[in-house]
Amino acid sequence: MNEPKRHTENRWQRLLRSLLYGHDVDRNVKAKARLGLAIVAFAGIFSIIALRLVMFATTSEGHGGRRSVTQDAVATARPDILDRNGEILATDVKTPSLFAEPRKIIDVDEAVELLTAVLPDLDTNEVRERLSSKRGFVWLKREITPSQQQEIHRLGIPGVGFLTENKRIYPNGAVVSHEIGHVNIDNQGIAGIEKWLDGQGLAALHMAGLATDQLQRPVNLALDLRVQYALRDELIAARDKYKAKASAGVIADVNTGEIIAMVSEPDFDPNNPREATDPNRLNRLTTGVYEMGSTFKALTLAMALDSGRVSLSSSFDARMPLRYGKFEIHDFHAQKRVLSVPEIFTYSSNIGTARMALSLGVEYHKAFLKKLGQLDRLRTELPESAEPLVPKHWGELNTVTIAFGHGLSVAPLQAVMGISALVNGGKMIPPTFLKRNQAEAEQLAQRVIKPETAEKMRYLMRLNVEKGTATRANVAGYYVGGKTGTSDKVVGGRYSKTKVLTSFTAILPSDKPRYLLLIMLDEPQGLPETHGFTTSGWNAVPVGAQVIERVAPLLDVPPRFDLPKADQMLLVSAKEPR
Amino acid sequence: MRLLNILVIGALILAASFVYKIKFDSTLQAERVAKLRGELRRERNAIAVLRAEWAKLDTPGRIQGLADRHLALQPVRSTQIDKLDRLPERPAVVVPSPGADPIGAMLAPAPDTTGSVSPPRRRPQ
Repeated sequence: MNEPKRHTENRWQRLLRSLLYGHDVDRNVKAKARLGLAIVAFAGIFSIIALRLVMFATTSEGHGGRRSVTQDAVATARPDILDRNGEILATDVKTPSLFAEPRKIIDVDEAVELLTAVLPDLDTNEVRERLSSKRGFVWLKREITPSQQQEIHRLGIPGVGFLTENKRIYPNGAVVSHEIGHVNIDNQGIAGIEKWLDGQGLAALHMAGLATDQLQRPVNLALDLRVQYALRDELIAARDKYKAKASAGVIADVNTGEIIAMVSEPDFDPNNPREATDPNRLNRLTTGVYEMGSTFKALTLAMALDSGRVSLSSSFDARMPLRYGKFEIHDFHAQKRVLSVPEIFTYSSNIGTARMALSLGVEYHKAFLKKLGQLDRLRTELPESAEPLVPKHWGELNTVTIAFGHGLSVAPLQAVMGISALVNGGKMIPPTFLKRNQAEAEQLAQRVIKPETAEKMRYLMRLNVEKGTATRANVAGYYVGGKTGTSDKVVGGRYSKTKVLTSFTAILPSDKPRYLLLIMLDEPQGLPETHGFTTSGWNAVPVGAQVIERVAPLLDVPPRFDLPKADQMLLVSAKEPR
Repeated sequence: MRLLNILVIGALILAASFVYKIKFDSTLQAERVAKLRGELRRERNAIAVLRAEWAKLDTPGRIQGLADRHLALQPVRSTQIDKLDRLPERPAVVVPSPGADPIGAMLAPAPDTTGSVSPPRRRPQ
């Protein structure tokens, strides 16, 4: 019985083997080969494991770093902003923020109760709602104090944790508000230089989560904090004294285009950005456009002198008001005689400047203002800018009024740029809020008027302070030159007789200007000591004088008492036949 | 053969313990590095806080307030500033001879010679 069975088995086995391996194969050899294969395979696997172990061992120090990366996940650091002397204008401070992972919270009611006990300003219902949601991550409170963090940590609520965030601090508060701008709670720039920084690639770094504090280099502004503070202090005092709606001022370096100080009162505290949205607190110097009034006469005179067709000894008829259609142009300080060019400037004669501009023609006037950048939007680092209001059809009447600063509204900073070019030797340099040196400025500079014309403009400005409308700005020793400007404000579509915008543009020192100062007062009121006058010479000019006296030592402008009168200055420096 | 085996086993144990020691040390070092990094970060944050605080205390507005309250100083006028080289020469100090009686000399009729004091040098204005 067994015999046939084994036989059949053998036969089956033989059949199977012959099917699987073929007829004449030695299984022992085959087994050895398989063993070899298995050894190689296992050796391979083990060597891979060994290799990975070595790799883990060598790179395991990374786990400390990895933890910190997750901690700084929302730490969108920003670079410090410093003034030109290295004083801090904006910096980051780390603050903890409280978050929760609702899925991990066991008892919502208990958590809400405990948290609101430590943070009484949390809204109970809102917290409950957030914790009951099915989301993986919710913020509970941003920017808590370290002691609150300690307390909450001690409560030991599961599913509640802290992330370190960067909080932007502006130690100087409102003093530098309009330049710096501010940031939102996620440390993204919303206005001013902060927004400009985001445009410089910082925003992309934030998006990628790579903006850690090690990478950031501080940004140096052209601003001088001390000068800025002094200017603001004087402007606030001026606003109170003359009961003006607003006051503004700029100090610019005429040779490099750097803005050393810029104040527009009322301003806001960047630590409390809610104030910034108030339209009354906007930056009047870049986002407002104004008819600059007589200040523009400096541009008209420079144009006339630069054309070569008018010299300092030319004269224009100012005996009668200038009639143009139904309009009649009067002089505020009417002399009713033929005026020479310096007299037109010092008496601030509307008729004279209008005639001067007319003698050169509309196109010439337009082209000159275009060259001086008064007709195009001025772009600086600050994202806020305003388009000048240029008349659509520029006829002769427009030239007449624009010659003395009405009918064309520009941003005051634009006027600063134009007048800087008139006095610094004729080079127009775009203004900047960042530090810039002389060589960089030379590269950007464009020649707009001849150096001789600039010389004459300085003379005229100085003359105006010695015996013109700006005599109250004659601060002893600083050789100030300047031009006043008073423009009637447009109220309800027509020029108001009582509401004015006064401005004063000063250069110091006049023989070799280094700085330009612009003071602007919006709707100053007459006072007993100004005899009720509201023109620039009574308010903006004395404010300018105070600012100069206070700021000049900070700007390293030494007072000199051996300076010639304006007339001699021109005789000495230029070869103008008079 | 057996000796060889024992030797190999011994070497294995030695190598293993050596590797363990290295590994242990490296872990210790890594922990120290992590700790120091954390400390550095804390210090850096503390420095940032202190810098912000210093900047806040150093604002011109605060200094002006303090100066107004505690000092009797006035703002400088431009006429109070001058260059060093416009200062007149300092008069030379007359050193009295040690033996002399200073008060007696003062009481005595002044001699005609005052040549020791050089007149202040005038510069063209």
